[in-house]
Amino acid sequence: MRLTLDGVRKEYGDTVALGSRAGGRATNGRPGAAGVDLEVGDGEFFTLVGPSGCGKTTTLRLVAGFDSPTQGSIRFDGQEMAGVPPEDRGVGVVFQNYALFPHLSVAENVAYGLRFTDPPNGEHRDERVASLLELVDLPDAGPRGPGELSGGQRQRIALARALAPGPDLLLLDEPMSALDARLRERLRLQVKEIQSTLGITTLYVTHDQEEALAVSDRVAVMADGAVEQVGTPQAVYRRPDSRFVAEFVGDNNVFEGRVESVREESAESDGPSRTQPESPVETKGGGSGDAGGNRSIDAGGSDHRYVVCVDVGGTTIPVPAGRRIQPGATVTFCVRPERMRVLGGEADVTAWDVGGEDRGTDTAVTLDATVSNAEFLGESTRTYLRWRGRELTVRTADPLSGDVRVGFERGDAHIVGVDSKKAPE
Amino acid sequence: MGSWIEQHALALVAAATAAVLLVVFYFPVATVFVEAVVVDGAITAAPLRDVLTSEFYLVDIFWFTAYQALLSTVASVALGLPGAWILARFEFPGREALRSLTILPFVMPSIMVAIGFVATFGRSGTLNTALAAIGLPTVELLFTLPAIVIAHAFYNAPLVARVTTAAWESVDASAIETARSLGASPTRAFYDVVVPQLLPAIAIGATLTFVFTFASFPIVLALGGFQLATVEVFIFSRIQNLAYSEAAALAAVETVISLGLTYLYLRYEGRQRGDGQGANPQPRRSVWPAAWAPREVGTRAVIVGYGVVVVAVFVVPIASMVIASVTDGSGLTLDHYRFLLERQQTGASYQIRPLPAVWNSLVFGVGTLLVAVPMGVVLAVLTTRTFRGRAAIDALAMAPLAVSGIVVGLGLLRGLVFGVDVFGTRVRVTGAVAVVAAHAVGAYPFVTRSVAPLLGNLDSRLVESARSLGATRARALVDIELPLVAAGVVAGAAFAFAISIGEFDSTIVLAEGSESYTMPVAVERYLGRRLGPATAMGCLLLAVTSLSFVVIERFGDRYGGQGGF
Repeated sequence: MRLTLDGVRKEYGDTVALGSRAGGRATNGRPGAAGVDLEVGDGEFFTLVGPSGCGKTTTLRLVAGFDSPTQGSIRFDGQEMAGVPPEDRGVGVVFQNYALFPHLSVAENVAYGLRFTDPPNGEHRDERVASLLELVDLPDAGPRGPGELSGGQRQRIALARALAPGPDLLLLDEPMSALDARLRERLRLQVKEIQSTLGITTLYVTHDQEEALAVSDRVAVMADGAVEQVGTPQAVYRRPDSRFVAEFVGDNNVFEGRVESVREESAESDGPSRTQPESPVETKGGGSGDAGGNRSIDAGGSDHRYVVCVDVGGTTIPVPAGRRIQPGATVTFCVRPERMRVLGGEADVTAWDVGGEDRGTDTAVTLDATVSNAEFLGESTRTYLRWRGRELTVRTADPLSGDVRVGFERGDAHIVGVDSKKAPE
Repeated sequence: MGSWIEQHALALVAAATAAVLLVVFYFPVATVFVEAVVVDGAITAAPLRDVLTSEFYLVDIFWFTAYQALLSTVASVALGLPGAWILARFEFPGREALRSLTILPFVMPSIMVAIGFVATFGRSGTLNTALAAIGLPTVELLFTLPAIVIAHAFYNAPLVARVTTAAWESVDASAIETARSLGASPTRAFYDVVVPQLLPAIAIGATLTFVFTFASFPIVLALGGFQLATVEVFIFSRIQNLAYSEAAALAAVETVISLGLTYLYLRYEGRQRGDGQGANPQPRRSVWPAAWAPREVGTRAVIVGYGVVVVAVFVVPIASMVIASVTDGSGLTLDHYRFLLERQQTGASYQIRPLPAVWNSLVFGVGTLLVAVPMGVVLAVLTTRTFRGRAAIDALAMAPLAVSGIVVGLGLLRGLVFGVDVFGTRVRVTGAVAVVAAHAVGAYPFVTRSVAPLLGNLDSRLVESARSLGATRARALVDIELPLVAAGVVAGAAFAFAISIGEFDSTIVLAEGSESYTMPVAVERYLGRRLGPATAMGCLLLAVTSLSFVVIERFGDRYGGQGGF
């Protein structure tokens, strides 16, 4: 089933739960305050991710029909859902706290939805319950009470219950958040597997960006009631559209500085790009309606035609850009910690072709920083550095200390925002 | 069509509830207000002005009403707090049972309690018999303020104890331990940590007590006579003298005061909500100390002393009533019960006979239950949801708690019972229907208040899950919510039944001169010359009431369900 949200906005009194909070300005030629636009394809695993209060759960509740939007329309396969009560929408919902009916057995819980509809494929009710318990790997749990199950087991029963009537759309509201880390990873794999087996359209809500990247076909990053970016996990991770997305999804080093100069680059001199080939990239700006100007700066993938030299605290850093940016404009760009290299030995220095202090050459940048803190994570170490009063994060194999020199290649910097207004004319 | 009804079932019951409320509560109350300002078809402020400028009404009636309510509140708190302390802090056999017994006064017919107090404090009552036996002079407590205050404490001290115990049990032991680790002595930790958490509960108990005792009727009627008349009693005497506009003016003023007090109470209570049960309550001490240190002995002496007071206040009146029903001046006798039998066989048609009274009480009780439970449950569902105008609905729906039965009864009598012209047709509601309606209006707030807290604690996602699985809102209520709050529903139903059985205020107004008298009305009528027949009737009432209490105790407290009271 295809799910469409068109300019959807939800207000509770004066509080805007979903939609632009800037107030009633017209966007996209539509009158009234801006809402959220989303399109979830048939069979897609689509995730809404964002910090608490960003409107993701509100979106899910509007889709489920527990609340009705203040403005805008929600369509299932093109059919308007306004006024359709939750029981007639054919959606399955799984909540964070499982919400199993405590007075019913596990089997009765799973069978509850079958009181109102016949099982799909002409199956008998009991068969349907048995096959769903099988699907979630709890074939013998039927006669037990929900209270006798562990958290992970309850969540799987909740999933089985939601799937029993054969819904066209599965809504998962932070389903893993109450579980411990190891279990969470195992369960999300199982959920993803079940979802792709059934091919059911799924809307998944989480605050955990790592989880979102791990399970989704596409994610929508939300902040302050608006969609910041929609795209594949790879696209959102590698080409964030905004500073918020850059900082929210994964660790990131964000720099801001003034453009000193711009030059056009021929494709050859860019060298072999470090940017890896990606699965279908889509960076759709959603309907968030703010800062619409800088949405597509970097949408062109690796064919950056320009290089801008940005002055960050006295160091000039070259950054690839998809369009010409006027000198004087303020540019925000980011470099992933795993793209930053710690340059230890002489060999490195030569290879990176740099001199004795912070500088940006044509293709690479080195920065001299001091280690302020380090967290050993097992497979790597997250090292925090101080560089000219800013904090940087790098990934290293072992904890470091003292003064270090770090470097990154020009192609690893990614522009997330341009503010021409700050530029003095 | 069927599915349309199912989809709108809640709205339909809510509309029906509103209609019932409108007809048997708001319309009668409005009737009273109109009668207070309309005399002989002309609008006049005279009755109200008479009431508000009369020194007799202001001082002898309203001031006395407030004064006895204040004294009763003080007495109830004084009697209730030690009970809360013992229930919350000590472990002893029967503690749970005793805790659930604190709900008993709520289902005790007030007229029966009044009879019990008459049997205790009367000239030849238990107290004077005991005093005479040990050679002390007798005392005349009947028709004095202390008797009224003690009877009010009988009703309301358990309420104070109940809410305070709940608050005490929710005090987190680790908060006290934290205070101790920071250097506070046990006493200091008690004042700094425990007392602030108890004060709101005590205030709630005290405010409710004041509201209830301000509108107290049967107790004052039976124990105060007309010398000590509260507003309610005086309104009743005005009604009996057919001075309706005067009664209406008094009722209007009283209702405004009661509503104001209840509003303040609800606002205060609303602000206090939301701190959940402490996950980690303090451990209880055993009543049998490990070592008989002087301090421990002192504590136990206090407990024993309190136990004696409790027995004197709570057990003696009921026991006195039972004893009085089987004794006369000369010894054991069954004459009083024989009187009931004779009255049943040979009573004149204008006289009140016992069996119809019992039968009426049971029928009205069941009728009240059938009407009040759906009303109360639907209102509980509405009040636990958030929507615009909820506070107003809350207040309108809870208003019957604040308006006295006398006022509703008066309004019903002057309106629907005497007959109302609706589009040219004279509509009359006959006695039985009017009584059930009045009882239902008085009872459903108790259903709401035993169901709403449990409903409010239910995860809203349970209902949402059910709905996304295909259940309508009404179906989700029946399949999911009601089974999970069954304890509250049953307790509410038992409340409704018991309240109907014991209701006196509006019944005595509505049953005047009709066949629809109930047991409490019979008790009051038999009280006339001799105490005996009234106590025999009271024992009958006690038996029926105890039965419904067993149901409340069984279902209500077994699940640990704590209603709003």
